[in-house]
Amino acid sequence: MVEKQRGAMRLAACDPAAHALGLTAGMALADARARVPDLAVFDHDPVADLNLLGWIADGCERYTPACMLDPPQGLLLDITGCEHVFGDAARLAQDLHARLSRHGFTCRIALGGTPDSAQAKARYAARAISDVPVEALDGGDKVHKALRRAGLRSIGDLAARPRKPLAARFGKAVVVRLARLLEEEDPRITPRRSLPIIHVAQNFAEPISRTNDVLATIEMLAGSAALQLQERGQGGRRFEIRLFRSDGHVARLAVDTGTPTRDAALLMRLIRERIDALSDPLDPGFGYDLIRLEVPLAEVLANVQVGLETKIDTNAAAAALIDRLSVRLGAERVRQFHARQSHIPERAALERAAQSDARKVDWPKPVPGEPAMRPFRLFETPQPIEVTAGFPEGEPRSFRWRRHVHRVTRVEGPERISPEWWRHPRGYAPGNGSLTRDYYRVEDNEGRRFWLFRRGLYDEIERPLWYLHGIFA
Amino acid sequence: MNKKPNHIQPTLSAGAFPSVHGMWKQHQSDAAQSLLPTGAPYVDERLRGGITQAGLHEFFGGAKADSHAAAAFALLLAWRLPESDAGIFWISGDKERQTSGRLYPYGLSAMGGDPARMLLVQTADLRDALRAAADAIRSKAASAVILETHGNARLVDLTSTRRLALAAAEAGVLALLVRGDAVPMPSAARTRWRICSAPSAPLPGNAPGLPTFDISLLRHRGGTAPFAARVTWDHATRSFFDAPLSGGLSAIVTDTETGPAARQRA
Repeated sequence: MVEKQRGAMRLAACDPAAHALGLTAGMALADARARVPDLAVFDHDPVADLNLLGWIADGCERYTPACMLDPPQGLLLDITGCEHVFGDAARLAQDLHARLSRHGFTCRIALGGTPDSAQAKARYAARAISDVPVEALDGGDKVHKALRRAGLRSIGDLAARPRKPLAARFGKAVVVRLARLLEEEDPRITPRRSLPIIHVAQNFAEPISRTNDVLATIEMLAGSAALQLQERGQGGRRFEIRLFRSDGHVARLAVDTGTPTRDAALLMRLIRERIDALSDPLDPGFGYDLIRLEVPLAEVLANVQVGLETKIDTNAAAAALIDRLSVRLGAERVRQFHARQSHIPERAALERAAQSDARKVDWPKPVPGEPAMRPFRLFETPQPIEVTAGFPEGEPRSFRWRRHVHRVTRVEGPERISPEWWRHPRGYAPGNGSLTRDYYRVEDNEGRRFWLFRRGLYDEIERPLWYLHGIFA
Repeated sequence: MNKKPNHIQPTLSAGAFPSVHGMWKQHQSDAAQSLLPTGAPYVDERLRGGITQAGLHEFFGGAKADSHAAAAFALLLAWRLPESDAGIFWISGDKERQTSGRLYPYGLSAMGGDPARMLLVQTADLRDALRAAADAIRSKAASAVILETHGNARLVDLTSTRRLALAAAEAGVLALLVRGDAVPMPSAARTRWRICSAPSAPLPGNAPGLPTFDISLLRHRGGTAPFAARVTWDHATRSFFDAPLSGGLSAIVTDTETGPAARQRA
């Protein structure tokens, strides 16, 4: 692996065979070539390395959901309370080692009371933290050199020393790091994902691969998650399922709901929809040996007593339907209207996913005796039309739209809508891009009603263009 | 005769008078299903009360540009339903939205509807749209489900419409199929309509007036004869009324206190 460092091609990493030949990382490529003429060289790709590390981390989530990347090559797992599944921490480490070796990875696993201690032990292949060299302090070359000169070579040498002179000499960071290495202070790791509120998992001695078995397992997990949610008086808004394949791959399924729920049957329907909607079906490969269901997002959901006389709540039915359609079609395809403060017609109304927490909007009430001043349909992009007007700035007499000429018989207007100059990046200035629109309500000789506008006044622009923006009923 | 078991005895007498029995059955089924009146006296009289509330109805546009009129008429019919918590589902595909624009809530509220009740479902293709419509009907969460399709879609055939019609009858939901510019094909809908925009009675200053449609009933499963009418929508009463067939006429009778024009001004 080579990488360009300070203008020269240098080795970024080398395999065990290269090590045996005396090559080391950081050596210039020219020097290495001089020693080993038939050296096989590849470009170093740090992004791919990081992706691979992420993939390994995904697989490691089978042991604990608290998993943190320690680039370029390390992973930190917080296995507090997770060891019992394997008996003890050492067995867990064994299992992890076996799995990684099966994939051809070389790894060093160390257990420590704090992440720093475990990291240092793994990095320097030390059995005890006292054997770890002072370089583990990460204090920089100057600090390490000074410590070594003082005869302090390992963390064990430092442990017995008083801390205050050390802090005075090398700075507070070194002492903090030392305390962490010596497991006197325990910083928690920051997991890659926030920890789920609830997680339930099922291990299999023999991997399972049939979809029905997988669904049955998920149903069982959903049932126990529902019980936990009920105890907490909560309902989940998001459910994530992780299917750990025996070869290390992890498949994820996520289901969102519009209202908090702990109804296992409903959840199963959503998950089935989700699986049906997958563009590439689940590939069980050699089978899944661990399935986990997590609830990362939950909200308060009161316990409801369903009485004999309660009728089916239409709101609940609607929420369930919205969830189903959102899961199948995508949340952004099931929408509701929302209002926005704007007097530009197309900006004043938008559509938002119906699953998102909707605020009730009070839409204007119709004015009795007045016809609708706004069309019931609006084109996303106004349709360009050719208009014949009686005189400049006048009302349209006829227009051509989609190769059809409409002769205007009734017309009302103009309704002048000015641009929102305060939204313009350069503020208000005459003629800086935004143009005034003159809207007309027209009816043609066949009785169709349209909403047309002329973009720009004659003193703003030389040749204003006409557009059809909407259709009236 | 003696082979037949005893419990079908009542049908024997009905067999002797098939037409009477048929009429009675028809009456029973009509009475069981509530009817949705349009509000326009002439139309409701011809329909013997209105259209079946729990059923599928089809709306075709008279010309290509009348697909909007068909959509508007279907929407206004859905607003004739009594107010309830249940939403009105508007289901359409990407293609329909691209060619005919999006529903504009300010326009809907100006016609007397409540945009907060509308739920919009936009699907990638017609297959998804039909499936979503069937789900929405069966869920009992909707008071009306409107499915808009454009062009001659082979997927909207006798089988798929029958599926929707049965679901609508079972769930008691008003299902409206807006077919735009399609050519009518056999379907299981209870009624089939052709809707065209019609000239409105002008307001002062020759301004366009209230939404007016030329509607014609093409087919009715209950046996009502086809007819044509012109109706205008009044957003204040949320109801249609019979419009005079000549749009210009009402402009003259503005100062009389009777007739549609007076109601329209009120």
